[in-house]
Amino acid sequence: MTRPRPARVVGFSLRCYPRRWQRRHGAEAAELAELLIRDGVPARSIACSYLRAAARERLTPRPRHWPAAAAAALLIAAASLGVPLGLLSASAPASAASAARAHPAGLGPRPRCGGSASQTGPPARPALDQARLASLWARPAALPAADGHGEHC
Amino acid sequence: MPADSQDVLRRAGDASVLILTSLADGPKHGYALIQDIKGFAGLQLGPGTLYGALDRLERLGLVEALPADERRHPYQITAAGAAALRAHLDSLERVGAVGRLRLRLGGI
Repeated sequence: MTRPRPARVVGFSLRCYPRRWQRRHGAEAAELAELLIRDGVPARSIACSYLRAAARERLTPRPRHWPAAAAAALLIAAASLGVPLGLLSASAPASAASAARAHPAGLGPRPRCGGSASQTGPPARPALDQARLASLWARPAALPAADGHGEHC
Repeated sequence: MPADSQDVLRRAGDASVLILTSLADGPKHGYALIQDIKGFAGLQLGPGTLYGALDRLERLGLVEALPADERRHPYQITAAGAAALRAHLDSLERVGAVGRLRLRLGGI
């Protein structure tokens, strides 16, 4: 049996949240949407509210990503201020290494969901290359969700 | 210590302040929060905004989720949340008093 259209629209917007959020709030959020629709709130506005919040949820870095993101941001700032490349090369490996430890998916080929645990990280690369790669995942849009990367709306 | 540094809600957004104000008189779940806020503030909080703010407040330790009642999680304000709300309301009162005084002085 197919669900009524408002429920489908809201259901779609709820599936845009990371899995962690869906486990925590999904059932309650669906029930809340039902109650609000019953009160006369348009399903479309509820879905839009959930979609906006889902985007924010996915783009906001989680606290455990901050040290690596801060290191990458510092590297970008230093590079854009014209700090000599030699200085960057000397300092980048440590920062990039800590970024890689904190978030290995940011360097090298990204494993698929449930990727093998035997991956040991990428081979050594020139320092600037690592710094650039680290900066790529520091961008909010490139941040994978805490436990749900690879999901799609 | 400057008053601003105690006001952790200064940058938390209006939704957080509204939620804490609503929870100040007892635990509520999402729907009850939306209805209560509509009653005392006259605005309908979007459900996405509500859960975003609740998550943020929970991470800050200002609210806590109680055991689920069927599918609903009631939330309650913590002692830290009550202190933060009090500090924020004090700060708003100071700003309000200055604003009213200046309007009077300006003859507006």
